Amino acid sequence: MSDSDRVILDPTAERSPLRRRLSARGARLRGPIGLVDIAKARGDVFLDELEVQLRLRLPGEQILRLRKPTFTKPTPPSLRDEIAQRCRVVIQALAD
Amino acid sequence: MSATLSPGTPAPPFRLRTLHGDEAGVGSAATGPATLLFFFKHDCPTCDFVAPLVGQLSQRLGDEGLRSVAVSQSDSAASAAFAAKHALEIPVALDEELSASEAYAFDSVPCLVLVSGDGRVLRAFQGFGREDFFALVADAARTCGAAVPSLERPGERWPENRPGCASRVHDPEVAQRLAVRRGAAQLSARRVHIPVADDPFEFFAALGIDDGLPVVPPTEARVVRMLEGTKRSPSEVVALVPPNLAPATVEKIAINAVMAGCRPEYLRIVIAALEAACTDEFNLHGVLATTYFPTPVIVVNGPIRHEIGINCAGNVFGQGFRANATIGRAVQLVVRNVGGGRPGEVDMATLGQPGKYTCCIGENEEESPWEPLHVERGFRREQNTVTLFAGEAPRAILDQTSRSARSLATSMGLCLESVAHPKFHGYGEVLLVVCPEHCRTLEADGWSKADLRRRIQEATSRPLGQCLPDAECAEGLPLQALPSDLMGQDGRPRPEILALPLPKFRRDEDILIVVAGARAGKFSAVLGGWVGGKMGSVAVTREIGA
Repeated sequence: MSDSDRVILDPTAERSPLRRRLSARGARLRGPIGLVDIAKARGDVFLDELEVQLRLRLPGEQILRLRKPTFTKPTPPSLRDEIAQRCRVVIQALAD
Repeated sequence: MSATLSPGTPAPPFRLRTLHGDEAGVGSAATGPATLLFFFKHDCPTCDFVAPLVGQLSQRLGDEGLRSVAVSQSDSAASAAFAAKHALEIPVALDEELSASEAYAFDSVPCLVLVSGDGRVLRAFQGFGREDFFALVADAARTCGAAVPSLERPGERWPENRPGCASRVHDPEVAQRLAVRRGAAQLSARRVHIPVADDPFEFFAALGIDDGLPVVPPTEARVVRMLEGTKRSPSEVVALVPPNLAPATVEKIAINAVMAGCRPEYLRIVIAALEAACTDEFNLHGVLATTYFPTPVIVVNGPIRHEIGINCAGNVFGQGFRANATIGRAVQLVVRNVGGGRPGEVDMATLGQPGKYTCCIGENEEESPWEPLHVERGFRREQNTVTLFAGEAPRAILDQTSRSARSLATSMGLCLESVAHPKFHGYGEVLLVVCPEHCRTLEADGWSKADLRRRIQEATSRPLGQCLPDAECAEGLPLQALPSDLMGQDGRPRPEILALPLPKFRRDEDILIVVAGARAGKFSAVLGGWVGGKMGSVAVTREIGA
């Protein structure tokens, strides 16, 4: 697909930005569940405990641990792609 | 010779990067007595012939004030090779995007343009002509106040004429790209970039701008091409679209028409349909917001049906015909995307119906024994029109045995009585679609549309008392809808009023009649309407414009 094919004209009245719709909310939590650590201090501690609780409550569901290199910069595209491809649900630990 | 190259016209200014990395061109400020422009392609044999002559002319008159600029339509590598082959010492400007070539509007290369110091064309020609070149040299010398140099060597005689090669602006792919560039400049819609990682079709679904089916991505090229389907300006506001009363410009309609899969020649029908739908009379807001079933049903009349392939015959309400499928869909997408009307939001339809994806048919005027719908409604047969009707999905009228018009019309009446509810008499508009075989039966007895309407009303007439709520069926005409002078002391209709026959429809003319469908099959159809009159929706007909 050429670059010009990836630019489209907005068909709406442009009264608000075009935004993706939220995905439908499932009746129950199903994996793979990605636990994303944004690399702030002790965020991993929180996620460790969260992982324990999730494994107790959702035996058999796949849980993945992922981590940003640093909290000071946006998620690298490669990590974003990995999250999009591997996870059904994402829980991101913010901490301060 | 294009008007741009006519002597005396202002030479379009341009500045392009050269092979050396600086810039050259023609500006609005005077830059010496004259500038010679040599437009070329690296693979043009006549350009190969002319290049040395331009080089010689530049050498002979350069010190007298003649600036020379070679303007290449080829890429930089090919341009550099060409310049080296001919030992060109003049700047070679790179016009690979053809902005200068397009501005000068020539058809073939080489194209030589002599520009005066005040920026006007002195002389121009395309290809090579011996006399043309002599005249250009003489003009250049005179403008520079120099003697006319002789460039033709003794014993040499240049050819009288050598044709050039087509300018790259005429390459089919390039021509389309340039048309998009020109057209895209007049488009004002927000540009949206589809992320590289995204499938375009999933992207549209995620944005919620489709109707549940994949849409065609509305790229600049497609929208520019779609706008060729109308003479109206892209910025012209066609209608304010409910429920948000947002302005639908021609451009926005074109964008949604691309998404729907329309061809450019369908666009003016979509525009006319939206003009009709967004009138107070049609009441699109109500049609959209109701919990009931209606959708804008589009009936097309006139010669345009066959010009663009609108199906009027077999499977007319079904699939398989691009014009029918996409015109209705485009209208629905405009309502959704521009007007903001979406299911579960303002669109509160309990069940909805498939016609809310698209419902557009052509009347089969050729099979009709009567005046077509648009002529009945005051237009000439040769005019192209759309009629918008707020209709339910089609329901069947089966009659395979009636041999007389009266019997058939009675069948139709019995079927029509069930529109909405059998007890709802005094109803508003319906759309009766008569199939060709039923037309033949009615025609054989010489029945007009008026005769058909009259018999339907007779066949559906019931005593008023049978139309009221009762112990067996709580539905029916509400008592409060009856005029007070018909009511007795007990708050119920007077006994003599209960016996009055009440036809199904308030007026005979509320039964809209069109002919459509295949020649085989004794099945007509009715599309029930919504609330009629000023509180509801009435059918609206509009001429299809340019």
